[in-house]
Amino acid sequence: MSSRVVQQPARGFASNYRIALVAAAILASLAGIGARLVSLHVLQRAKFLSYIEKARDEIIVQNARRGDILDAHGSLLATSRSLVVLGVDPSALAKEDEAKWPALAGLLGQPLADLQQKFSEKTRLSADAHAENDEDAQQIISSGDEHEVHWVKLSDSVDESTYDQIKALNVRGVYGSRVYSRAYPQNQLAAHVIGYVNKEGDPVTGLERYLDFYLRGENGWLESERDGLRHELAQFRSRTVAPSDGYGTVLSIDTAVQHMVEEELQKIADKYHPLKATIIVSDPRTGFLLALGNWPTFNVNDYNKASLDAQRNTAVADMMEPGSTFKIVAASAALNEGLVSPATRFDCTLETVTYKGMIRRLPREDQSDHFDAPLTVAEIVAKSSNKGAAQLGMLLGEQKFYDYARAFGFGQLTGFPVGGEIPGEMAPPSKWDGLTITRMPMGQSVGVTPMQIHCAMGVIASGGVLMRPQVVRQIRDTDGQVVYQFAPAVTRRVISQHTAQTMARLLMGVASVDGTAPQAAIPGFEVAGKTGTAQKIINGHYSDHHHIASFVGFFPASNPQVDITVIVDDADAFTPGGTAYGAIVAAPVFKRLGEQLIQYLDIQPPVASEGSQFAMEGGLR
Amino acid sequence: MNKSTNHAFVNQMLVGALVMICFSGSLGFSTVWLRHAISLTADRNRQMETKLAEINRHIDETTAAIAAEKSPDALVRRNDEWHLGLVPPREPQVVRVPDDVEQRLMAKNHAELYAANEGSVVTPVVFNLGGGR
Repeated sequence: MSSRVVQQPARGFASNYRIALVAAAILASLAGIGARLVSLHVLQRAKFLSYIEKARDEIIVQNARRGDILDAHGSLLATSRSLVVLGVDPSALAKEDEAKWPALAGLLGQPLADLQQKFSEKTRLSADAHAENDEDAQQIISSGDEHEVHWVKLSDSVDESTYDQIKALNVRGVYGSRVYSRAYPQNQLAAHVIGYVNKEGDPVTGLERYLDFYLRGENGWLESERDGLRHELAQFRSRTVAPSDGYGTVLSIDTAVQHMVEEELQKIADKYHPLKATIIVSDPRTGFLLALGNWPTFNVNDYNKASLDAQRNTAVADMMEPGSTFKIVAASAALNEGLVSPATRFDCTLETVTYKGMIRRLPREDQSDHFDAPLTVAEIVAKSSNKGAAQLGMLLGEQKFYDYARAFGFGQLTGFPVGGEIPGEMAPPSKWDGLTITRMPMGQSVGVTPMQIHCAMGVIASGGVLMRPQVVRQIRDTDGQVVYQFAPAVTRRVISQHTAQTMARLLMGVASVDGTAPQAAIPGFEVAGKTGTAQKIINGHYSDHHHIASFVGFFPASNPQVDITVIVDDADAFTPGGTAYGAIVAAPVFKRLGEQLIQYLDIQPPVASEGSQFAMEGGLR
Repeated sequence: MNKSTNHAFVNQMLVGALVMICFSGSLGFSTVWLRHAISLTADRNRQMETKLAEINRHIDETTAAIAAEKSPDALVRRNDEWHLGLVPPREPQVVRVPDDVEQRLMAKNHAELYAANEGSVVTPVVFNLGGGR
């Protein structure tokens, strides 16, 4: 028997039907996956997409940095920095971290007991639950009106370096979120000018509010996605709009001059305990302010602790009768109209004069002054004669005097941008009574702001033009490039250069030994100025015991470089003699400030050969 | 390998399926790896942005702290604390030189040249200690 072996063809991969079965299973699986994909991506697409969008998509706001405010020399007056609002999730605290709590309390500057109390606040009553007593509380707890606390604020102003140390402690459950906060490194310096931004980030007062358009910048944003742990998945960022930081501003305020001013204000406050006081220093050639200080003042970093009175910029927001400083209007106007010369004499012994057919009673001179002989216009200014000023006013007539007073800037806004400026009060001649023409030239029956007096004196110092008071010099972009430069702004010409020069010379007499304020004289520097001692109206009558003392002046008279106004309200109680005269209270302050400014600003004494310069030439720089 | 029977057809189909699975698998892996690489890079960028923002925050904080230390109040306080005794100059302590200072210094340092050329006389500036002019 022969056996025949039949050669079977090679089966390969499919040589076994079970392999075919595996292949069929794989294909079926692929078909299943395909079906599921169709279900997910086609049939249920909308449902899942909306869920994903809610769960994953996020818009991240990128905060713009608010621009800095710099002084004239680049010193920071206001800047932005981030602070950390630190909180704790009491339910996430770990027992093993308790040893770190004292260190944490030390870093936060809080008593450990306070910290422990915050850490133990694990539950809180719901907003609508209210417990009158323990029984109620027990009932609320049992009724479930209590909810678990996941965040208790520990501090809202932790700085970055302290936060780094807190993070290094690694206390579980303690975490922070960053907020941009405004910082004022100079504290109370120029507080009334700079103003502040509140905790909500809204500019409230001062330049912070006025310049908000430039300072605030534009927030950016980016569209991205996050994972289940709420971490951003940066690879899914789809749209990004970069933030645009705010512009910086450069002021004309000089930190050093401002400090001098505020030191002097504090000295006034310590010595005389006045109701309020104001000092303004400016460059009369440009109208730019070097310093503006009020007392009382406040620390802008602690604005919430300051009273509203302390926050008021009294230099522009408060009105007062100017007193004798207003006499510059009548004298300048009469000289400018050519009605008088410095040598023209007036009888200042008269009690009454006839004006427009009616007998008018002239005002009294100050208690210490009595003039036996006629006074020249120069003497009326130097000795501050009330009767002389009244006669100058009558010589001009109501309408002309009023027009000049308006031209000097009284009764209208000066244009100072911050502080809620008021226009003061100056009634038109149609509303004057018979005595007004004798009283207004000596600074009664008119309400002015310290800034208006300052600007009016600036008219004489600048050669006859009224300058708009300004504090902002430049707007700069984030690279420091100048975007906008503010130029000196002339409001109007008020008197001629020649009249301004003559007035400057007459006002030098005030600070001479024959004038009312030799205390203001700075040897070698030609001080020109005017004192004011305005009686305050108490219960409807001019008081002999409450005065507003002032001295407004500039120097060197032939080339004015600084214009200084010192006003002290109600310093009588602590003034020797009981009357706060401008010469006693304000003039010495002017002198002390002037002496410091001479050194700081390198003001050169006038050289005889150069003669008069600016007041005559009336140029601007 | 048998290329003509039914088995052969299944063989070829399975080989083709395996090749396709391997190919699409490698494509998938490549895509996953690429996405992972992209996410790593994006995450690194984000970390750098965070770091940069942190540095900027520290710069802001330091700048504010420096500004506070340079404020007149702080300087006056330091002057007192460290007993430096620094005071602003007063007018009597200042000697003003009306002529050109550069010319004057040049003339002072090269007096012999000036004397030879012009025969000029150099007047030294006198500083009075303790004030006075």
